[in-house]
Amino acid sequence: MSKKDFDDETLMAFADGELDETQSRALEEALASNEALCERLAVFLDSRQLVGDALKPLIDEPVPEALFASVRRMADEVRHQKPQDNVVSFRPKQQQQTMRRWLVPVAASLVAIVTGVVGFALGRINPSASNSGAEIAAVLDREVSGRDVTLSSPETVLHVVASFRDERGELCREYELKQPKSSTLTVACRQNGAWATRLALTSAKADGYVPASSQETIDAYLASIQAGEPLSPEEEREVLAPE
Amino acid sequence: MTYDTQTVPERLVAFLPNLRRFAISLCRSRELADDLVQMACERAILAADSFVPGSRFDAWMFRILRNLWIDHLRRQKTAGPQGDLEDARDVSIPSGEAASLARMDLLEVTAALQKLPAEQREVLVLVCVEEFSYRDAAEVLAIPIGTVMSRLARARKNLMELTGISFGERRSPDSKGGVL
Repeated sequence: MSKKDFDDETLMAFADGELDETQSRALEEALASNEALCERLAVFLDSRQLVGDALKPLIDEPVPEALFASVRRMADEVRHQKPQDNVVSFRPKQQQQTMRRWLVPVAASLVAIVTGVVGFALGRINPSASNSGAEIAAVLDREVSGRDVTLSSPETVLHVVASFRDERGELCREYELKQPKSSTLTVACRQNGAWATRLALTSAKADGYVPASSQETIDAYLASIQAGEPLSPEEEREVLAPE
Repeated sequence: MTYDTQTVPERLVAFLPNLRRFAISLCRSRELADDLVQMACERAILAADSFVPGSRFDAWMFRILRNLWIDHLRRQKTAGPQGDLEDARDVSIPSGEAASLARMDLLEVTAALQKLPAEQREVLVLVCVEEFSYRDAAEVLAIPIGTVMSRLARARKNLMELTGISFGERRSPDSKGGVL
């Protein structure tokens, strides 16, 4: 293989780790015996390093206070103007843990909004759901998280999302009641042996996921009551079946 | 990506140092860079709906900022010649940097970067500083990947010529550059 088989862009792609395996292997072989090729490659290796060394440290410079404050203010303004609208996506359940972690610092500012939403949402709980209150309570007492339980009321599936303890150490469970046309996301905590609903949000169904806005509200609420990390399956089994 | 659940404004705040670094390397003036960052943030917040969840947030932000920068350059051109390179003087080496390179070399590189045409500098910064892939850089700059590669190769050869730092000397396996 002659050295003119490797043009500058190929050498550069190799230096940047963007060359495919076959070409990389061919080039490596050629480099072993071709000094001039090594020097041409060095241009691309060195330039990357030099530019990185010169400019990367800029990231350590403190952002000017005025700039930071102004962007922070813009961000806060949108959040207060339209608390439900800045939600970016539907989100699978597995990410809730991350959510809780980062939400804690902003929780304080959200409590006011959430309280407003709670009052509204509580009035809208699906009446058929309350009929099956005893049945739900039994499931909450017994079932570990992550499983679907079909209730006796037609086409209603209860899915316990997670268990955790609130700021007073009471056992709380987040669960979803899935019905054909809607789903209700609820946080209930055990008080004097009974399950007290703390927050419930009903929303029209969207492909098996609770719309992100409801989830956002739930997560903000959990942060506001200083909900702990979700219990592990072992911890959960222990609290559900103390004997 | 664990950040997928954050809203655009929240991610912006966390992304400010990166955004500012990109702005400084593009426009070579901290004052101008801060204005650009501020405008880019405003625009991003207004256009938050156009951010596709799951796509690269940094690429999206860089594109917004770069478009503002291009706008600025265009206006400047029609407004007559400006002290382009003079403005750039305040881009010097960040203080307190534990140099893996001699300070002189860094100054030479910075000076050489400033002499490169804007289109070469931006692709260089995206790939060698922000560590974007060619494909991602192509998307930020809205040019084909082949153009990214030819421009980038030219930029790097120019840079090495301008710095006059001889090849080979610089390479040592343990001097991994940068602070990222």
